[in-house]
This record gives sequence, structure tokens and C-alpha cells, in this order.
Amino acid sequence: MPLLEVERIHVYYGVIPALMDLSLTVDEGRVVALVGANGAGKSTTLKAIAGVLRPRSGRILFRDRDITRLGADRRVRMGIALVPEGRQIFSTLSVRENLLLGAYHRRDQEVKKDLEWIYSLFPILRERMHQVAGTMSGGEQQMLAFGRALMARPKLLLLDEPSLGLAPLVVREIYQVIERIRDASITIFLVEQNVNMAMHVANYMYVMEAGRLKMEGVPQEVMRDEDIKRAYLGG
Amino acid sequence: MFTGTYVAQQLLNGVVLGSMYALLALGMTVVYGILRLINFAHGALVTVGAFTFFGIFVALGWPFSLALAAALLVGGVMGLLLDLVGYRKLRGGPEVSLLITSLGIYILLENFIKLLATPQPYAFRPPAFLTQLHNVSGVAFRTVDIFIVIVSVLIMVAFAVFVKRTKLGIAMRATAESVEAAQLVGINVNHVVAVAFVLGSAVAAVTGFMWGAKYGQIAYDMGFMAGVKAFVAIVIGGIGSIPGAMIGGFVLGLVETLAVGFLPPGFAEYRDAIVFTLLILVLLFKPTGIMGRKEAV
Amino acid sequence: MRRWTSLPGGVKFLIGVGLLFLVLFVANSTLNRYVLHVIILIGIYSVATTSLNLTNGYTGLFSLGHAGFMAVGAYVATLLTFPVRLRIAYNLPLLPHFLGGPDYQWPFLPALIVGGLVAAVAALLVGAPVLRLRGHYLSVASLGFMVIITTLAKGLKDLTRGAAGIQAIPRYTDIWWVYAWLVVTIYVIWRLLNSSYGRAMLAIRESETAAQAQGIHPMRYKLLSFVIGAFFAGIAGGLYAHFARSIRPYEFSFYMTFHIVIMLIIGGAGTLLGPTVGAAIVVALKYVLKPVEEGLGIYGLVEIVYALMLIGVMLWRPEGIAGGVNPLRFLVARKGERR
Ligand SMILES: Nc1ncnc2c1ncn2[C@@H]1O[C@H](COP(=O)(O)OP(=O)(O)O)[C@@H](O)[C@H]1O
Ligand SMILES: [Mg+2]
Repeated sequence: MPLLEVERIHVYYGVIPALMDLSLTVDEGRVVALVGANGAGKSTTLKAIAGVLRPRSGRILFRDRDITRLGADRRVRMGIALVPEGRQIFSTLSVRENLLLGAYHRRDQEVKKDLEWIYSLFPILRERMHQVAGTMSGGEQQMLAFGRALMARPKLLLLDEPSLGLAPLVVREIYQVIERIRDASITIFLVEQNVNMAMHVANYMYVMEAGRLKMEGVPQEVMRDEDIKRAYLGG
Repeated sequence: MFTGTYVAQQLLNGVVLGSMYALLALGMTVVYGILRLINFAHGALVTVGAFTFFGIFVALGWPFSLALAAALLVGGVMGLLLDLVGYRKLRGGPEVSLLITSLGIYILLENFIKLLATPQPYAFRPPAFLTQLHNVSGVAFRTVDIFIVIVSVLIMVAFAVFVKRTKLGIAMRATAESVEAAQLVGINVNHVVAVAFVLGSAVAAVTGFMWGAKYGQIAYDMGFMAGVKAFVAIVIGGIGSIPGAMIGGFVLGLVETLAVGFLPPGFAEYRDAIVFTLLILVLLFKPTGIMGRKEAV
Repeated sequence: MRRWTSLPGGVKFLIGVGLLFLVLFVANSTLNRYVLHVIILIGIYSVATTSLNLTNGYTGLFSLGHAGFMAVGAYVATLLTFPVRLRIAYNLPLLPHFLGGPDYQWPFLPALIVGGLVAAVAALLVGAPVLRLRGHYLSVASLGFMVIITTLAKGLKDLTRGAAGIQAIPRYTDIWWVYAWLVVTIYVIWRLLNSSYGRAMLAIRESETAAQAQGIHPMRYKLLSFVIGAFFAGIAGGLYAHFARSIRPYEFSFYMTFHIVIMLIIGGAGTLLGPTVGAAIVVALKYVLKPVEEGLGIYGLVEIVYALMLIGVMLWRPEGIAGGVNPLRFLVARKGERR
């Protein structure tokens, strides 16, 4: 059952087109990956889904509701959370404040409980609770960005290159967390340039090139394509 | 030549003026932090507050506390209106259009007040309990001086608690750091900006009352320099820092008062020039101010 | 029409100037003094607004100190041209020897130019520290500069007669002087915009970072546009002083800057002739509305109308009026998409 449907969207930066006629679907409970070269339009796609960019035409449906005109804050409330490229944590705020802002829209009583869940996923964040976020290492900041997004209790988690700029060991750790999030039955839409990592967790895969969709399928199938192999596995 | 009492007297005057600058800088820096707008209209709210209080307290003869509450309310509502009607549509466009629009709004408000109240200045008599004279070992002051300092400090403490402890306050700091990231955690940025305008404008209106009570006179153009100097205070304190804005306010108030008090008498008329020379010196030698971080060009 | 657009820019410019002076000649010999007075003021403000446009419209800086530079030009030119016998009566200083000595007074043209040059040097001194920083600082610092200048004009009584101002300035400015300077101002800015300097400035307006990536050194161009803008502001100030025949410090106030900003925005920032259109609209409107304001005793009416126009243009027509009007396009530099 589709959780998210993107239907033929076009997105522009001023007069420059960034996404052309892009359509894709993310089914509930899956991990779907989007790969493509630098500048292909992956981040733009996620921003359009999250609502910080508006498509010039086309529609975006979430749980069968048309959300194309809703602002980003409304979409968070509906259950879409983005972990942006470069993390974008609030560097002057404390770790705890960052996490609490993740639950900004929530009025329920379980925020404290979820905070504990995040601390159990990322024990380092509990240690750093009162530290100013900007003083943490890149890997710790990435975990904070994950934690902040999860505090919104999303149904769909959008991840923009979570492994970017991190040491291999930290990348492994991040991907273990991605698996745990998947196991907590949160749907994941993952953007990666690190195709090897993406292949392992994804059930389905989209490939983008210059603002358009180039290919889609289950990862093993996509990776059999000679062009794709050459482009992404250097082989 | 300068006795201890004289120095103490000048320091007191500097702190009183500094309190008012600090209050204005506070409201301005929150808006600047989010929108990168030097809100020239902020100064007009000082005038609006002063005239609202004057109209209700003197002309209508209502009690002091009601008149002050009315100034606060009118200031807050005006702040909201300015945001909704003037600025909201321009967000996301060039920053300079916000600046130009705020100039337009300032001129509009100033001349509207001029039109309603006529161009001449009014003598501003605060209630009797505020005008009582005190003398502590030679340093003379009125109750209003103490009132200004205490109320300013209370407002600043309340504001500090608000941004430090409340969800909305934390969201406000987050939005100042990154509007996009704030949207992505579900913060309604328009809402946060509106709150910043309402709070800042209400405080500016109260500052208008203080200004009138301290200097005994109000006029349609009283707010302009106050507003611009509040921005100078922000630069001195360090752009982007809320405590910096307040410290900058006090520093500016002290420098301005002491410069006039200790330079030869002929320099008194250079008061405003001294303030702006200080600004240019700060920009030249320490553009990050006392507490600020480097701001991207 | 196609033939007209295919003419080389220089020829079009010459034809435009010829037409302008033909119209002025007819106006000068048929219209009454009151209307000519307004036409001259429009010309002076056009020089000021066109020069502000170089800084604020083309380079994307936002200076609020223009009246300060006009004040510098006005005072310097006046002090140079002021008649020797009146200097003593008015307690104004005689010229020192390096400026010609106590028996000498300057002719108009060199005095104007020196006024402009001094304003340009002032711009260099203020601009050098401030232009390194984010654009906003320039707005406040240039406003501060204006306050410093007017305070000095009030305070340096031996030089400026303080708040009383200087009267009985010889009336050298006439319609020809004004419009000749307007043509020079527009010509210089037009040539500048079509040179490599101009392209660099426009690149900076679009994106300072991108300009830097192309090897453009923003500071140099920003400073250049600020300084040239100040030079012509100084000229406008000198023209104004020798037209109004009296200057007082408070005239060169925030309101004068503000009026120039309105003219620029209403006419269309970043267009070559927009400033002149804006100056014409704003000055003419003042002469229409002032009698109403005084007749009805509603002081502030003119400014309220100005402010509403400014806000309205910002909200609904940010390209200004000339920005979209076709007949004026012939000299108007093409703009990129407004950001
Ligand atoms: N803020 C922006 N303004 C203008 N162009 C942009 C902006 N962000 C991205 N682009 C352009 O849009 C295209 C897609 O960028 P992006 O979505 O970031 O690609 P990816 O994430 O796949 O590397 C690129 O050509 C990029 O240069
Ligand atoms: Mg990207």
C-alpha cells in the first residue's frame, strides 16, 4: 500500500529546472532508496516532499491525501520528517533542546518516553544532553539529527545522505540504527551516494540523473544494469 | 574637577538611558535574528506607546496602570499588524525590500501621529508618585529613574526565561538559527515571527512611556533616533546575541551619557555624532561586537 | 520601431539628449517661473537619485547616507563660490592661500567638482571599513555618517555658521546647468554599466559568492560604486545650494535621504531612467499636495502619501514604475530576474 506518491512534479530554482516530471512511490513499511550522482536532484526531491520547496506542477500524496500545498510544518504534523543533508541541527541549542524541538507539534504525554527511547538508540546523546550541539563531532551531530526527526514520531522518515562525511565505523553504526528504525515499522525513504550501503537496506531503488528518473527496481536488478554498475560501483 | 557624586550621577543617568536602549535592542534583535531586517518601524512604536499613554492618562484621565496596559496592548497589536500587512508578503524575497518597507512604515506612522497630534511637542507629566525627588548622598534622582531600571530588568529577566525555558522561546532561537531547519521540525515560522513582533513592539511601546517620563517631553519624531540607536546597540553588543543586545544597550547608554557629561560643554551637541562614530569604530575594529559571532556576508 | 532599436546606443543617447534639450528650450521660453522652478528641482533630485541608483540599484548595497554626501557637496561648493565681500558680513572664513587667497572666490564649475570630490573622499573613508561587512551595516553606518555630517554642519560654526545656515549664496544653478549634469551623470553610469566594471557590479548584485567564484573582487567594485555615487550626490548638493541660495544643516536630514530613496524605488531601482521618472513623480506630487496640506492644516499628508506609495510599490510592483514601462526601455539596462 503506497504511503507516499509523487506524481509528475516539476521543481525550479528561479528559472533553472531541478526536477523534471518526476514520479515515484514509497510503500508503507519499506525502505526505499534514491541514488544518483551529485547534483542529480536527490536533495531537491526530498525537500519537495518535506515541503520546503514547492513544485511548479504535479502532485504529492501522503496517505492518499493531497499535500502539495501544505507547508513543511503541517507535513511534520502529518508524519513526514526529514533528516536534511548536512544535518542542520540547531548548533547554538543544547542537545536536549534540539530533541524537544523535534516533538514541537506534539501535545501528547509520551514525549518524555520517546526521549528515553532516543537516548537508548543513541546513548551518546544522553551523555551530551546539556552540551551545545554545535560542539559535537560530525557523527554525533548526525545521530542528533536522527533523534530529532524521530521525536516527531514520523510515519515516513526521509534521510538525505546520512553517511556523508562520516568515518566508515560511524557509517556502520548509522546503518545499524537505520535497520532498527525500520524494525520499529517506520517507512524510510533514503537518499544515498554510497550505493553499496543503500543496496543492503533497501527493498526498492530509484536512480536519478539530471533531474529525471532513470531507472527503478529491486536493488539487485538495478545493479545488474551495466551503465549503473559503471557509474556507481566504478566497475 | 569631577567629584565622586558627579560621576555617580552620570553613571545613574547612563544606566537609565541604557535600560531603554537595551529594551529596544532586545525587541529589534529577535526580529533581526530571524528575518535579517533592521526594523526602522521599531522606533515608531516608541512614539506610538508614548502617545497612547499620554492620550489615555492625560487626556482621558484614566488610571496609570490602565494607561500603561493600553500602551502595551496597542504596541502589541500594532506589531502584529505590521507583520501581517507589511512584512509577511515580502519574506523570502530580497532582504533589502524588507528594510525599505520598514522605512516606509516608519514614515507612515510618524506622520500619522504628526497628523493626529499636530507637529508640536507635548509636555509629558507622569503620575505624581513617579516624579518624587530623592537624594542619596548628593546623587539626585526621581522615582521614575528607579522605576525604569527595575521594570527594564524585570522585562529582560522575563524574556530570558521565555527564550531559555519555554517551548516557544526555544523555537524562536531555533528559527533565528535556521528558518528552513525550523520548518523541518514542524515550527510554524510565521507564528514565531508574529510572536517576536508582538513582544518586541509591546516592549517598545512601554519604552516610549519611559522615554516620555524620563525626559518630560514627547513629540511625533521622538522614536526615530531611539530606534536607530537601538540597532547601534545591537552591533556594539554583537549581532545575533540576545544578551549581547542588552549589554550593548547599556554600553551605549553609558557611553552617550558619559561622553556628554565629561567632554567640554561644547561637545554636548555632538551627542548623536559620538554614537555613530562609536558605531563606525566598532565596525572597523571589532565587527562582531562584544558577544557576537561572525555573520556570513 | 525596429529601426530605432537597431540604432547603436551612442546614437540613441545623442538623439535622446538632443530631444531633451529641445524640450527644455521650449519649456524655458514658454513656461512660467513657478513651473520652471519645479523642473529644475526635478533635475537636481534626478542627479541625486541616479547616483543613489548606482549604489542601491545596481550593486545591491543599500546606502541611507545620500543626504550626507549632498550636504558635503553643498557646503564645500558654497564655501568656495561665496562672494568675498559677503564673507566678512556673514562671518564666513576667507579662502586660505592654497585655495586662491582671501581676495578670491571660485567660479561655479570647479567649485561643484571639488564639492563632489570631497564627498567622494568621505565615501571612501566610510565605505572602506563598512563595505567589507554584510549589506545591512552599510545602511546603518551610512545613516550614521549623515548624522555625523549634519551634526558637524551644526557644530563647526566658524565654518558653516551652525544651525543658522548660510544665506545669500549666488544663484548660479539654472535649467541648463542642472540638465547638463543630469546628462553627464546618466552618461557616466551608462558607460560604466556597459564596461567590465558594470558587469562585475551586476554580478555582485545577483550573488556576491558567485561573483567571487568568477574572480571578481567585490570590495573593489562596491567601493567604486559607492564613491562614484557619492561624487554625483555631492554635485547634486552643490547644484541645490546654488539654486535654493540658502542651506541649513537640518535640510540634509533623514527626510532628504528618504525622499531620494522613494524616488528611486518608485521609478525603478536598477533602471537607467527610472530615477528621473521617480524624481519627477515625487517632486511634482509634492507641489500638488503641499497646498492641500497647508490649506486643510493636515500636516504630514505629503509624507503619508509618499510612504503609502513606497510600501505599495514594494508590495505589489517591486520593479518600480519605469521598470515595466516600454517607451523608456530604450536606454534601460536589461535586468536579471529580481531576487
Ligand atoms: N538553492 C539552490 N539554488 C539554485 N540551484 C540549486 C539550489 N540547490 C540545488 N540547486 C541545483 O539543483 C540541482 C539539484 O541539486 P540537489 O537536489 O542538491 O542534487 P543532489 O542532492 O542530487 O546532489 C543541482 O544542479 C544544483 O546545482
Ligand atoms: Mg544532495
